[in-house]
Amino acid sequence: MASSLETISVAHLPLMPVHVALYRDVQNAAFLKGQLLDGQAEFEYAFIDASMVLSRAQVIAAVFRAVNDYMHNRLKSHNVHSEIVFSLNPTNNISESFRRFGITDSTKDMLVVKVSVSPEITHESVAAHLDSSVQGTPVLFDDQTLSEMSDINKIKKAYKLGALPSPTAKKNDEAKQRLENSLLSSIALRGS
Amino acid sequence: MIAIGMEGSANKLGIGIMLHPKDGSAPQVLANIRHTYVSPPGEGFLPKDTARHHRSWVVKLVKQALKEAKVSVDDVDCICFTKGPGMGAPLQSVVIAARMLSLLWGKELVGVNHCVGHIEMGRLITGATNPVVLYVSGGNTQVIAYSSQRYRIFGETLDMAVGNCLDRFARTLHISNDPAPGYNIEQLAKQGKQLVDLPYVVKGMDCSFSGILAAIDGLAKQWGLGGEEKAREDEQKTVDSITADESLEGKPTRADLCFSLQETVFSMLVEITERAMAHVGSKQVLIVGGVGSNERLQEMMGIMARDRGGSVYATDERFCIDNGIMIAQAGMLAYGTGFRTPLSESTCTQRFRTDEVFVKWRD
Amino acid sequence: MEEYKPPALPSPFNNTIPPPILLTQGAEAHLYKTTSLDPSIPAALKIRPSKPYRHPILDRRLTRQRIISEARCLAKLIREGVSVPALLALDWEGHGGPEGGWGGAWLMMEWIDGPVVRVVLEQWEAWMKQNEGSLDESQIENEEARVRGLLRKMGSAIGVLHKAGIVHGDLTTSNLMLRPSADAGDAVEGTGAPSLEGDVVLIDFGLASHSNQDEDRAVDLYVLERAIGSTHPRSEPLFEALITGYRDSYKGASSALKKLEDVRLRGRKRSMLG
Repeated sequence: MASSLETISVAHLPLMPVHVALYRDVQNAAFLKGQLLDGQAEFEYAFIDASMVLSRAQVIAAVFRAVNDYMHNRLKSHNVHSEIVFSLNPTNNISESFRRFGITDSTKDMLVVKVSVSPEITHESVAAHLDSSVQGTPVLFDDQTLSEMSDINKIKKAYKLGALPSPTAKKNDEAKQRLENSLLSSIALRGS
Repeated sequence: MIAIGMEGSANKLGIGIMLHPKDGSAPQVLANIRHTYVSPPGEGFLPKDTARHHRSWVVKLVKQALKEAKVSVDDVDCICFTKGPGMGAPLQSVVIAARMLSLLWGKELVGVNHCVGHIEMGRLITGATNPVVLYVSGGNTQVIAYSSQRYRIFGETLDMAVGNCLDRFARTLHISNDPAPGYNIEQLAKQGKQLVDLPYVVKGMDCSFSGILAAIDGLAKQWGLGGEEKAREDEQKTVDSITADESLEGKPTRADLCFSLQETVFSMLVEITERAMAHVGSKQVLIVGGVGSNERLQEMMGIMARDRGGSVYATDERFCIDNGIMIAQAGMLAYGTGFRTPLSESTCTQRFRTDEVFVKWRD
Repeated sequence: MEEYKPPALPSPFNNTIPPPILLTQGAEAHLYKTTSLDPSIPAALKIRPSKPYRHPILDRRLTRQRIISEARCLAKLIREGVSVPALLALDWEGHGGPEGGWGGAWLMMEWIDGPVVRVVLEQWEAWMKQNEGSLDESQIENEEARVRGLLRKMGSAIGVLHKAGIVHGDLTTSNLMLRPSADAGDAVEGTGAPSLEGDVVLIDFGLASHSNQDEDRAVDLYVLERAIGSTHPRSEPLFEALITGYRDSYKGASSALKKLEDVRLRGRKRSMLG
């Protein structure tokens, strides 16, 4: 199957398109994680455990936070991609953020993000590299697909939002909106 | 029309004589005389001593003012005096003198609100037509704007006046009260460089200074910068040596404390003034009251006003610091509308809010 | 006099296409309309520009404290399910234009579509004035009942806010919005009177703070009561409906309302010397 890499132009960041791909049934999470830990430059991605993702808005908020901090030389981690994983976390603990939101050897549903921080990083280059390195089924990066992957209880626990009502399967659920908005607040306020 | 203005609500005794020409041309200052009761360093002025000062100088000052103005008693139309607000005993000494002159000369009395005096004098001198007024002195801190016949208070201090805060810190540092403690703080602050952290308390358009005073007094104590001895050391040092040997290792100097205090409290004042300007949609700001003669405050207010596309109006110490002509000016405006203070009501009061005055002379 | 120019937008908004549109400029903050992170969805951008009159260290400290405080209040209210705009992004450091100077901190919020209550009440009062002659008693009663309904919703929204442990600090009819439901029209069918339907949304938490004090809650209500009295004379006699809505919205409401009576007697501030 052809790559389903989506390239998002985040408003306010016209010069840095963001490339996102969502996979199901990933077979080689351990390999990808290994490459990342070894610091292989071509594997510099934000690899995210999709069970920790509630919605697109949550991911884009974290990307925006990370890129804004990157643009203003305020990165807390190595690079803008590790910063995206870190930005999903509500607290300043970097290793905790990777334990919670990063991939593990057994991750099956995975979200990959890459930001065009240099001109060589293009939709084509990212798509080609991911095609050749990720063994999994590319799926559409939308709220519907994400909702089939997200582990609401784990997400609520990570963001210390246990008291919030859990969203039901219904579309445009009020509880989901409230949870999502709460996640966005946490991402915006981290470190304040 | 000629009026004598008599002011003595704090430690300045001021006698002024103003002329409002019959042809409607610009009012003229005929005499503006002031004598200040200066207390020793480390001490504030006490009501009874201040009242004694006013009593012993008032006759001399009135005579001198008439002489300087080259007017005779017959030329005078009314006697204006400060009704309040201010310190009880000093106010009383002056009101008694005013009453005596009124009976002696057969002239009518006009009781004036001290704050309104400042505002009207400021408007006259600067030509500001409808400004937001910041009134800052040893006894008052108010942000005022005019609306339908009242000077309305939009914001004010919730505890002590800003001038009082500065004066009391001058006492902590044993800075001279001559010519004024605030003036000497301003001079010392010019040598300050390091900003120390102080509380910053603004609530809407109101502010508070007591916590700041406590904090900076605490810092002076912590670093051993208060008291007579340190004040003497300061006097012996040149500017260079102060900055060279004390600004090291994060230890603040006396100058740093004065600098930080000014930067903090003036920022608060500019902030609440800006808020009032935004609220009423005014681009003019007029600073009155003794603290208004501080050049750093004027500079900060000027930057704020410029960024809002407006301008700041301030006066120098002749008009800004308590004086008699401002009482004559505001008194005469009221007198012109038919306002009189009968002898039986010629009292004074420590509490007299700016917005209690019915401003009949403005549209 | 020099023409006023708003300060340059902080990065990254100096690159935003199309540029954010300045809506209002208060003493503290400038409000812009822009897009959210998704270009198809509008957002409100609140910028607290640097204040060049104050010492740079103090300026940074205050700007940072205040924008964080506002964002935290919003976050708390969002978690509690209070009707406020979502907080989309935040930068308390702030950056200037291309020269990289200190430009100001910013906060991006959900765009609330709909009028502020001030406008809604003004329209209603104008409509009433215009049509008074032709309305009979029951129609007037019916109109007043509609405004009471709106005031009750406002009271209830404020109650929910207070229940969450936040006081607004600057409650006016300009800081309450009416978000119409998707299918609602602007006017009531038949009479043409302005619609008063929709959800009340609280905005602008620039002066808000955490408080569970009855005094602070009472001052919130008092400030709003005074604001309605001075700007909406025709709606003022109906203020009791707001109190009713407030009373029914949370448990501690009655003790805050008791305090309101004290505050009404003395005014917002205590009288003081000089």
